Amino acid sequence: MTHMEHLLLFGLIMVAAWFLVTYFWPRMMLSVYKRGILVKGGGDGPIPVNTLYTEPQALFADPLHPPASASKLMTTGVNRDTLPTIGWLDLRKGPQILHVPDMAGRYYSVQFTDPSNNTNFAYVGKRTTGTEAGDYLITGPGWKGQIPSGMPHISSPNNSVLVLGRVLVESDSDVANAYDLSKQIKLTPLSDWQPGQ
Amino acid sequence: MNNRTSTILTALNGVICGFFFIRLFFFPQTRTVRNDVVQGILIGGGLAFVTAQIYARIKATKVNGWITIFGSGVPGNGMLFRAACAQIFPGPVNVPQEAMYWTTSGDGAGHTLSGEHDYIMHFPPGGLPPNNAFWSLTMGDAQNRFVPNPINRYSVSDRSGLVPNADGSVDIYIQNTAPAGHESNWLPAPSGKFILWLRVYMPGAAILNGEYSVPPIVEV
Repeated sequence: MTHMEHLLLFGLIMVAAWFLVTYFWPRMMLSVYKRGILVKGGGDGPIPVNTLYTEPQALFADPLHPPASASKLMTTGVNRDTLPTIGWLDLRKGPQILHVPDMAGRYYSVQFTDPSNNTNFAYVGKRTTGTEAGDYLITGPGWKGQIPSGMPHISSPNNSVLVLGRVLVESDSDVANAYDLSKQIKLTPLSDWQPGQ
Repeated sequence: MNNRTSTILTALNGVICGFFFIRLFFFPQTRTVRNDVVQGILIGGGLAFVTAQIYARIKATKVNGWITIFGSGVPGNGMLFRAACAQIFPGPVNVPQEAMYWTTSGDGAGHTLSGEHDYIMHFPPGGLPPNNAFWSLTMGDAQNRFVPNPINRYSVSDRSGLVPNADGSVDIYIQNTAPAGHESNWLPAPSGKFILWLRVYMPGAAILNGEYSVPPIVEV
């Protein structure tokens, strides 16, 4: 190969590497979250796919002493406002139904993030759907089937979804209430769904 | 990672990539295909980080020392902007309509925040962050961890009973030891360096359209 050909090859590889790193950066970052959720968990072991986990009350009440077994992601950063609930969806196994309880005006949100590009394609919560109890169908790309009658439908662009819930804590004495409400945010596979449950 | 560290790392990264890049053209050694590939990957990858940092700085909004970026997490964002957002907020961050976040490691004059000094954050009358959910100002040490303190207070917010001044303005006292007579408005700082986070959930129109300026942290 001539020197020019070597430079050309180098240049092409360099441009491709630049593009790939820039394009896949958010995906690489969220793959760390995926590992944190599915492998390490929040202190009580791994969080199974298609289930939600809420930060324990004790950790919120005493944030200085996180359990050693918790993923660093659960204890990194400073947040004294909302009790977080997290989970990782795999919609290849079929759609999921998200249930949220009546939050009685309290601020909360459930954020649905596409881990391929770290953008949020849907929200359930005070801002977007209000604070009344409700059920929401979440389906993966290309899903065809019967939507339960009257149920709002969230269509995900990706079979993998990062779910991040936040329920406002009003005061130190309100942590238990926020925890109770957070635990009522639940996922059920559509295949197990019974209307009126 | 604080601002100065990331600046230094970015510059270092850029210099190293630039050095190898220039050397390649002006001092061609006996080249092999393996060299082309390995150097191409390393330099291309390194430059991707430099580009994202530079683009993040262009797109970020810095007012009174506070840094934020508008438009994170919105579907349809381009790849360069997504990489830039990941630089400023490395995580699954909210869309602006849901929440805005500002962070700073310096006061309004550009000096590094440290518990060796006392600070006040002054919100003018009616100047608390407009929102339809809540706002908060949270303390983190240099590693962004909670700071132990005698009153177990890690943030101040719309829920912490801040006492306004006679004219309706609100002063938050950010210091290592309790401010005599102003304990209700005390946000305890560590003895060393610290950073601050301002969160506004369901921010008001004045925030989303850029009219609202977060007040500076002022050393007293």
